[in-house]
Amino acid sequence: MGKKLCYFLFGLLILVSLQSCVEELNFDQFDDLQIEPVLEGSILYVEAPESIINRAVAANFYTQDFNFDGFSDAFFADRVIDGVVTYLVENTTSKDLNITVEFIDDGGNVLDTEFFTITPAPPVEPVLREIPYGGTGRSLDILRNTSAIRVTAENVNGDTSSTSSLPDPKVTIKSSGKFTLSVK
Amino acid sequence: MRKTDILIAAILLIGAFAQGQNRQLLYDFNEIPQSLMVNPGVDVDFKWYTGIPLTNISFQAGSSGIAANDVFADDGLDFTEKFTREIIYGMSTADELSGNFQIEYLNVGFRGKNEDNFYSLGIYTEGDAIGYWFRDLAILGFEGNGDNLNQRFDLSDLKTRGELLNVFHIGLNKRISNKLTIGVRAKVYSSIFDFNSTRNKGYFVTNEGVNNFYSSTLDSDMEWRISGLPALRDAERDGTIASTITKRAFFGGNLGLGVDLGFTYNINDQTVFTASLLDLGFINHSNDVKRYSLKGKATVEGVEVILPDALSDPDQDFWDELIDEVEELIPFEESDDSYIMFRPTKLNASLRYNWGEQMATGANCDCGPYASSSNKGTRYANSVGGHLYAVNRPRGPQTALSVFYQRRIGSVLALKTSYTVDKFSFTNIGLGLNLQAGPVNFYVLADNLLGYQNLANSNYQSFQFGLNIISWGKK
Repeated sequence: MGKKLCYFLFGLLILVSLQSCVEELNFDQFDDLQIEPVLEGSILYVEAPESIINRAVAANFYTQDFNFDGFSDAFFADRVIDGVVTYLVENTTSKDLNITVEFIDDGGNVLDTEFFTITPAPPVEPVLREIPYGGTGRSLDILRNTSAIRVTAENVNGDTSSTSSLPDPKVTIKSSGKFTLSVK
Repeated sequence: MRKTDILIAAILLIGAFAQGQNRQLLYDFNEIPQSLMVNPGVDVDFKWYTGIPLTNISFQAGSSGIAANDVFADDGLDFTEKFTREIIYGMSTADELSGNFQIEYLNVGFRGKNEDNFYSLGIYTEGDAIGYWFRDLAILGFEGNGDNLNQRFDLSDLKTRGELLNVFHIGLNKRISNKLTIGVRAKVYSSIFDFNSTRNKGYFVTNEGVNNFYSSTLDSDMEWRISGLPALRDAERDGTIASTITKRAFFGGNLGLGVDLGFTYNINDQTVFTASLLDLGFINHSNDVKRYSLKGKATVEGVEVILPDALSDPDQDFWDELIDEVEELIPFEESDDSYIMFRPTKLNASLRYNWGEQMATGANCDCGPYASSSNKGTRYANSVGGHLYAVNRPRGPQTALSVFYQRRIGSVLALKTSYTVDKFSFTNIGLGLNLQAGPVNFYVLADNLLGYQNLANSNYQSFQFGLNIISWGKK
């Protein structure tokens, strides 16, 4: 009886193994895989204390071009499908300020301009602005061709004597980017 | 795709679907000469044997976290959703993709003048690979950091190693008494190639910034080591890939030493305890080595311009300075320094109880080695027992527990079935068959038979077969 049971069990196992099959798989589905990570990070931070504004002779107290290759890097430029650049300008000085942020290409051409009119403090009224690129937003080619960022700050009234009542008066420009990339 | 890439991809693919090196069916299946390879102290009764070259092959395939059907089933569901659910978030860092294969070129054994001694020697090629699921890195690559602020992506999730090597071995199986048989096997490893990255530490995180919106921090202590692969790439370019592999397989690459130990102890006439420790050894990689490291810590908040300091140099390039600073804080370095890799050591132990009719074996003759000195010319018809297996892996020991039943039918046929529980499967039923037709020995061992019902849905399969010529001496 034991032997018969043993043979039966082994026979059953062999039959099971002979019944092997592979359910139909579709490896072509891999072509449909979409890998679209969202990358987010800071871009540029500029900080100018009120004392600098007061020391400036001209109303246009600050202009600087910053080399910035983050957007034109092939990994980013070839894969970006949309994104948002966010600015936050805070002014705790006593000055009316105009701030301009421009994206510049290799030839020095201005590709995009963002203009901020900033009121004096107090009260402090931060200006937050989100600029979409791609889709219904501005052209992604602006980002792809950007090789520098130009920041210009103008003391609108030419006031170089007043001092804010707030501690550590300064104007700051924060900026960040949040972009979707198509990796596959 | 280049041949070396294909070779590496093949090893990784094996790794991607292969389990470990557990050979619970072969272990203590002492009718099969290859059982000496998993326990040099196994109870053998052959006068001599020789394996037929290239016919003794073992291959194991499995994965602990996913089966092909989970993702590639033709079910009409969105593939990206399936991929995200089943792989990106479905697998954990404990899920491993690992595997092993061996192909024998030479395996011979013979009894010495002292009939208590049985010698064996041989050559085989072994491929071994393991990769743990790099979950955090996969999430970072798949989703990015944008919607994962304050989440630390753990760089230690990257743990992988793989190798292709030739093993030259010589062993002694010695019968100490009627109760105890011990065995030792010395091994020389000739590495064809090796890659590993197993001791990574660190993280990447994006937090709220101090000055700007966000700060991104990379704290990295990562290293990737390879040996042999640069030579194979060069050889492929020069059209000498076959000769280069052959050269590296026969002592022209990196060498190592190892040892296997094992014993069989008859607790009583019917109860047997065995154990073995395999591949206790290392390979010193000093030839054709490349080591790549990324070590350091940096936090950035984009380009930062703080006046009036920034006015001192109107031509200052803040972007380049930022890049240079990061590269200085986290240098990516390359070196040719040698390194030592320990082989994945395996532990086996079994307890077996024999009963039933005593069956004659090939050694049951007047002139065999044990004909008059012991009862080793006979074996019980039935054996049942348990088997413990463990292998050291980059994330610690991996274990498996099996119970088995073996049935011998005359001296011609032996069957063994096992049920194994491990991290890969709770339904692993295996079956082994050993057929002795005169001097010709044929065996086939297959694991996880239930998985054959739908291979696409199986987490683990293994297959091993071989041909040997065995002699028990003159009748």
